[in-house]
Amino acid sequence: MSQAELTSPRIAAEERNALRQSSMISIERVSKYFDTRRDKRHLALSEITLPVTRGEFVSILGPSGCGKSTLLYIVGGFVQPSSGQVLVNDRPVEGPGPDRGPVFQEFALFPWKTVLGNVTYGLDQRGVPKAEAVARARALLAMVSLSGYENFYPKELSGGMKQRVAIARTLAYKPNILLMDEPFGALDAQTRTRLQNDLLKIWDEDRKTVLFVTHSVEEAVFLSDRVVMMSRSPGRIQDIIDIDLPRPRDRASLLLDRRYQDYVVNIERMMDAQTGDHS
Amino acid sequence: MVLRRFLPALPPLLAFAGILAIWELLSLYFGLDGLPPPSVALRQVPVILTDPQSLFDIVDSLRRMAIGIVLALVFAIPVGLWMGRSRFAAAFFNPLLSVIYPVPKAALMPIIMLWLGVGDASKILVIFLGVTLPLIYHSYQGSRAVEEKLLWSAAAMGMQPPARLARIVLPAALPEILVGCRTALVLGLITMVTSEMIARQTGIGNLVFQSLEMGIYDTVYAMIVIIGALGFILDVLFERLRGWLVGWAEPAQSIIVGST
Ligand SMILES: Nc1ncnc2c1ncn2[C@@H]1O[C@H](COP(=O)(O)OP(=O)(O)OP(=O)(O)O)[C@@H](O)[C@H]1O
Ligand SMILES: [Mg+2]
Repeated sequence: MSQAELTSPRIAAEERNALRQSSMISIERVSKYFDTRRDKRHLALSEITLPVTRGEFVSILGPSGCGKSTLLYIVGGFVQPSSGQVLVNDRPVEGPGPDRGPVFQEFALFPWKTVLGNVTYGLDQRGVPKAEAVARARALLAMVSLSGYENFYPKELSGGMKQRVAIARTLAYKPNILLMDEPFGALDAQTRTRLQNDLLKIWDEDRKTVLFVTHSVEEAVFLSDRVVMMSRSPGRIQDIIDIDLPRPRDRASLLLDRRYQDYVVNIERMMDAQTGDHS
Repeated sequence: MVLRRFLPALPPLLAFAGILAIWELLSLYFGLDGLPPPSVALRQVPVILTDPQSLFDIVDSLRRMAIGIVLALVFAIPVGLWMGRSRFAAAFFNPLLSVIYPVPKAALMPIIMLWLGVGDASKILVIFLGVTLPLIYHSYQGSRAVEEKLLWSAAAMGMQPPARLARIVLPAALPEILVGCRTALVLGLITMVTSEMIARQTGIGNLVFQSLEMGIYDTVYAMIVIIGALGFILDVLFERLRGWLVGWAEPAQSIIVGST
């Protein structure tokens, strides 16, 4: 039955309460102002309402500066909304917690820790025995093709490698919700494709709830159950598109799939219509 | 091969040789009692370093300096880190610090001696005061510059704020803290010598001034050379320690040694 809601069209306001029960994340009328120098308030997010079902993969698309990162920070509990609230598991978010694992756009690796030290950090923090933590970290590093780099420091890695370490670090402590901010942005096309597949495989295993920010329409369509399109100034939800494509998804056959192509073309058209300027 | 290994040592050796040459020329030209040539003065260096009493004085000075600096580290680093993370702490301490910073700490020595006498306590306190401010300042800068998302990442792993100060802010700010430590080492040496010139009893500063009063100028100059060499050795040792502690850090940490 949650499958029905999952693939249901855009959620109408009156359905919201009914949905809340099965919502893993419920973003409710969240607005965010930033105080700027010229004693003006900058409205970064305006009245964002978005319920996300347990196990749902939701991508957020939108021009640069439309508030995608800010929205993730609010769900993560790192930033307080100016108004509105976020419920996770029916409880209001009051701060960060290990149920929500962020992957930041800027990687935010601990520079004084080696690659291995970074990936095991959250596990040590959660009291996982050393040997087990190291084993899990090594397996994740193998998955992101970084075996052999265990003892490198972040400064010795390329941008794409740092990004992969950041992903492994967050996956390591197994949060129920993943908040991923352009996690594949710094990767070459080949690695990107591979990691998309790996992410889907991991997601298929235990169906984490994922909020995934990206600039790539193809990526959003390929990965998601729903694509949220945001517009800029103030950042608000412009449209939500259900991606009704079968899973498990295979990239090669999807590329040939007419429905996939339609989704991509349509979303791109809608985004072009929204902004005259390019970001 | 051998040449390439010793090539980096060449410019500093040339610099030292240059200074000695100029010193020698000046003293030959002026022929003053108060300016013996290095060929004479430097002969006193091994004499001083093999004299048990002088050695004891030097070690005693270094001991006081070490105690003063360690106390300052224990006090200044937590305060600086806290200031960097708390707007209240920054607003509270900043005005105090900007008033205290420009006061020459050694000039407080006579007053402190009124309270604590001429012994170790006064000298250690002056050294402590002399090095605390640059340590706080650099810890503060380092703490303030810690990337927010490092703290967020740790918070998402379930780390609580007090632990974050010790386990995230401290290591993240360490490169900058160590810049402060290097300044503190130099200032500590300066304050140590100055304090012993004012409260005479033992120590390097006392050795210098005693010899000066007795007109043993070659010893005075030899002592100045020894103080300089001490600073140099401490700096080299410190750089080793720094490389070991923050080898992980991105380079481009420029080091500016502050003045008194
Ligand atoms: N700490 C802050 N103080 C002031 N303004 C901020 C702050 N953080 C974000 N903003 C503003 O909020 C808006 C949204 O920023 P945000 O980083 O969320 O955008 P984004 O959609 O993630 O962009 P990008 O795709 O470039 O990462 C921007 O206009 C930005 O200037
Ligand atoms: Mg962003």
